[in-house]
Amino acid sequence: MAIPKIPEFKAEWKEGEEGRWGMAVDMDLCTGCQACVVACSMENNVPFVGEAEAGYGRSLGWIRVERLWEGQYPEVKMTPYQPVMCQQCGSAPCEPVCPVFATVHSQAEQLNVQVYNRCVGTRYCANNCPYVVRVFNWADFDRPDPLPNQFNPDVTVRRRGVMEKCTFCIQRIHRAEDQAKAEGREVLDGEAQPACAQACPADAIVFGRLDDPESRVSKLSRSNRGSHLLEELGTQPRVTYLKGGSNDRLG
Amino acid sequence: MTDSFTRRDFLKVMGAGAAATVLTGCGPASRYVTREPYTKMPEYTYNGQSTYYATTCRECAAGCGLILRTHQGRAIKAEGNKFHPLNQGKTCARGQATLHGMYNPDRVQFPAQHARGDATLTEMDWDAAIAVVQKALQDPQGTQFLLGTASDHLFDLVTDVCQAVGAPSPLRFGALSMFEARATLGEASRAVFGKPDLLFFDIANADLVISFGANFLETWLSPVAYTRGYAQMRRGDVRGHFVQLEPRLSETAAKADEWYPLLPGAEGLVVSALGKLFAEQKFGVAPAAFEMVDLAAAAEASGLTLEQFERLAALLLRAERPVILPGGAALAQAEGLETAKAILTLNALLDNLGKAGGVFHTPAAPLADSYHRPASAAEISALVKRMNAGEVNTLLVHGVNPLFELPAALGLEAALQKVKTVISFATFPDETALAADYIFPDHHGLESWGYQRVQTGAGQSALSGSQPVVVPYYNTRATADVLIAAAGDALPFKDEVEFLQSKVAALVEAPGGFYSAADLPSFWALFQQYGGWWQNDSSASAPSAAGALEKKLTFHAPEAAHAEGEHEEFSLYVYPSPILAEAGANKPWLQEIADPTTTVMWNSWLEMNPETAHHLGIEDDDVVRVISPAGEVEVSVYRYPAIRPDVVAIPFGQGHTAYGRYAENRGVNPALLFSAETNAAGDLAFGGVKVKIEKTGKKRPLSRLESKMGVYGFGEEH
Amino acid sequence: MANLLEILKKKEVVLLLVIAFLALLSGGAWAMYQTQIPPEQPIQFPHNIHVGLQIQCLYCHPGAQRQASAGLPTQQKCWACHGQLRKYSDPAAPVALNLWPTELQKLAGYVERNEPIPWVPVYQVPDHVHFNHRPHIAAGFACETCHGDMSKKTVATVGETVNMGWCINCHLENSVEDPLKRTKLIDCATCHY
Repeated sequence: MAIPKIPEFKAEWKEGEEGRWGMAVDMDLCTGCQACVVACSMENNVPFVGEAEAGYGRSLGWIRVERLWEGQYPEVKMTPYQPVMCQQCGSAPCEPVCPVFATVHSQAEQLNVQVYNRCVGTRYCANNCPYVVRVFNWADFDRPDPLPNQFNPDVTVRRRGVMEKCTFCIQRIHRAEDQAKAEGREVLDGEAQPACAQACPADAIVFGRLDDPESRVSKLSRSNRGSHLLEELGTQPRVTYLKGGSNDRLG
Repeated sequence: MTDSFTRRDFLKVMGAGAAATVLTGCGPASRYVTREPYTKMPEYTYNGQSTYYATTCRECAAGCGLILRTHQGRAIKAEGNKFHPLNQGKTCARGQATLHGMYNPDRVQFPAQHARGDATLTEMDWDAAIAVVQKALQDPQGTQFLLGTASDHLFDLVTDVCQAVGAPSPLRFGALSMFEARATLGEASRAVFGKPDLLFFDIANADLVISFGANFLETWLSPVAYTRGYAQMRRGDVRGHFVQLEPRLSETAAKADEWYPLLPGAEGLVVSALGKLFAEQKFGVAPAAFEMVDLAAAAEASGLTLEQFERLAALLLRAERPVILPGGAALAQAEGLETAKAILTLNALLDNLGKAGGVFHTPAAPLADSYHRPASAAEISALVKRMNAGEVNTLLVHGVNPLFELPAALGLEAALQKVKTVISFATFPDETALAADYIFPDHHGLESWGYQRVQTGAGQSALSGSQPVVVPYYNTRATADVLIAAAGDALPFKDEVEFLQSKVAALVEAPGGFYSAADLPSFWALFQQYGGWWQNDSSASAPSAAGALEKKLTFHAPEAAHAEGEHEEFSLYVYPSPILAEAGANKPWLQEIADPTTTVMWNSWLEMNPETAHHLGIEDDDVVRVISPAGEVEVSVYRYPAIRPDVVAIPFGQGHTAYGRYAENRGVNPALLFSAETNAAGDLAFGGVKVKIEKTGKKRPLSRLESKMGVYGFGEEH
Repeated sequence: MANLLEILKKKEVVLLLVIAFLALLSGGAWAMYQTQIPPEQPIQFPHNIHVGLQIQCLYCHPGAQRQASAGLPTQQKCWACHGQLRKYSDPAAPVALNLWPTELQKLAGYVERNEPIPWVPVYQVPDHVHFNHRPHIAAGFACETCHGDMSKKTVATVGETVNMGWCINCHLENSVEDPLKRTKLIDCATCHY
């Protein structure tokens, strides 16, 4: 059996590449309601860890909604709520440090993927992630019967000692791609929706193809309100955060 | 009804095999699992493919439409119903977590009898259970139903049952309606607009929203619909401006462009002041409604300044489509009814009634004969009196947990002792269920038939439909079926589905529907398919406020908290937890969600201004005793940077003594601190409660998502 | 170190080590053998007879064409044919159930009790692998490429060693000309998520 040569491993990201899947988060619309966090956990079989473990910062949520305070009472303000999930960097700091290639770049989907069955739990990737969005299964967290009935069969249930993080709901991307392929067409804009974007009551999270200049997310990503988290690090994040407030007539 | 049978066959399924497969996780391939196919393949179903059912969320009374993804007979994920006029495909955190209520390990699993207060249940069979209910209905005068705010179909059925047997009308209650002061809003709407109504505030099209404590992005009335409206307001060509006035910066206020921390109870004065300033500058003369107010005194009493009043009046003058929201915290005050009237009158003065971005009458929900608002605290008090007088022999409770949700000061716990038989239909062993003699568990909302009226949030007249998405997991039975069986010939229905069909039959002919059907069976099929019935076009109508501006409104300065001596007094501000609301504490993922403002998880906290804390020598996580005339609780302090120094706040939602392992003995219930004082509309006036804070010397760390460094950092002087 | 060598020189120790090694070896061989024998099935389903009757694979496993899982037929489907087989249920001369072949009696029993048949999956992948039949059938692969010639088998057996190397080999062989396709076919995220 002649096995064709497997391509060499190399850095996948090239300067100027816009990536394939992307997200735009409008912080002016985000109300901090946490619907995305619950939706994500329900879709992706994310376990809850309980009060004590949560206090140690071991919550396993794949998104967190950040907020900071500015000033002191009475001139105190809260910064806009900012949902932070894996930024699916084009040049991801987590990837080169994994000794077992469990944190790899998906060439096909242009996403950072975590291969659970390879992961040996060194947690190097989490240490190297500037966004602190990787979470580690410190234990097999208890989900007593019949809670496991709710598990999503499209997503692997992770065990102790495995790193995990937001996947942009790749199972939904695959479902949409598979459906489109079966029908002999391209994936429509908005057809693949991660659980967070689907749930968001304010429609603050928009997801879609970045390589389609006409998609909603591409247009938002080009907006002059947009910025990337820690973009000076050169990580090429695929999530654009939009600030608001410039067209406020009364303000 | 054949539908109900086929559905059960539909879901007669394997579960175990599939669950076993999933459970093995990343482990070695489990070779000897079994895969059990359907015995009969349900129509339109394929092995291994998900089936989606439209139903209605029952986590609050709003009535959002859900689409449940089910897989091989298990419910996997709740998603929003895109066609539903209220939530348009979106859900809130509580809606997402509804599955953790259904697949919760602590549900009541069978009909049972038990000694009051004892958690050990003795199993009964359903025939015996029905006989118990039957016996209760034979003494109609002594029978009282107490229902929750969801679901409406059960309320309608119970109303029918009570009429048929001659029992007093059922009462409804929900903690959220108490915090929203719905009776006050309804009464104010009746007084100002001539029609009791929850009203619809079109913030989507407003260019200025001034909200008096309305937490419409959290729990207020219909949070998903109002969040959508908020997003639309911000997304417009001209970004709408949003001002929030409340003593602490809530999740909603965090989104406001301007936040004014006013003293609780001073809302009426501020509204009047704004009305006076606006009218004087716009028309040269203030209407009778607002002319009484003394601006300087109002500023003094509310803790705001005259400049801030001027600023707000200037905003009102420049705005084209302003709207003022009456939040529950502003209404649940001694003068709450007057405040509500003042806010509605100010809207009338701003001339936004029935206009884009203004105030509308919600169209009557389908099948609504009149506006059924939940009971006010005064009405519950009346029930407690009747119970104490021995007039209630049987109390039947469904969908509400009054022992937890009502202020202890109302005395319900003692009154329950006077009731011979208490029957609970709770799905969870909550506080009230454990104080009952019988628990006849209803199905979880996702296992149930039903409908819920959309009372507010959408311009269309809408009825949300529920259908079972999975076979009931435990030996539970629909309360409607139990009542129909117990009522016997008094009701002309065989079961719940027949009752529902008799009700929705009226809609088959109704004009302007989202779909139309020639006959009831096809209508019923579409009703399940789309998850309800609604009109295509908005039929919200313009309220008329004839003469309202001429009615004088007077307000008194709220009693300020005393700040003298060792025992400093604070105004207590209680708000429903944005994540847990009234009944979310039993869902583990909701417990783990960080509070949007403090990021605290799995517990209660007391919010205190850092300056005040510093002055009292209190640090984060210090346990303090909060003492009100009605009771006291011990709770950890969270130094909250955005709260008035003379106010402390505790979220409502924790502090259960029952209600499953995830809720029990966790946090405190601030309802223990409320007095039984009510306002003129009968709503609890909890806004005026004053508390003393005592240090206990104990420390109990709060788990929070934000860094342990806290807001100001460890050990840093400020 | 020297001590250890001394101990190893003892005959008994060497014998013990050899025994331990052999025990491990045979245990390993047994475990590997276990993965290769077909599991016990509730009904010894004769695939050969059904395929011999020209029944298409997709008639009973239609999911293969449209979704991830090929699916097992419902007993309703089995009974649609078996409930009216001329051989046993000829109205003129019906054969009593207890005279039917044993395996068919079992089927009749499951149907009568309305009980699902607890089949044991033969081809299965670990839970961290998400296999989808549809694209494989759409790409024109015949069922026997992976599942073997079912016209020669009664109950299903594993014809190939289903592991990742086997998957990848096939994916590589079938994407020689198309680099884009290869990217997709050897991508971790295609199967692992």
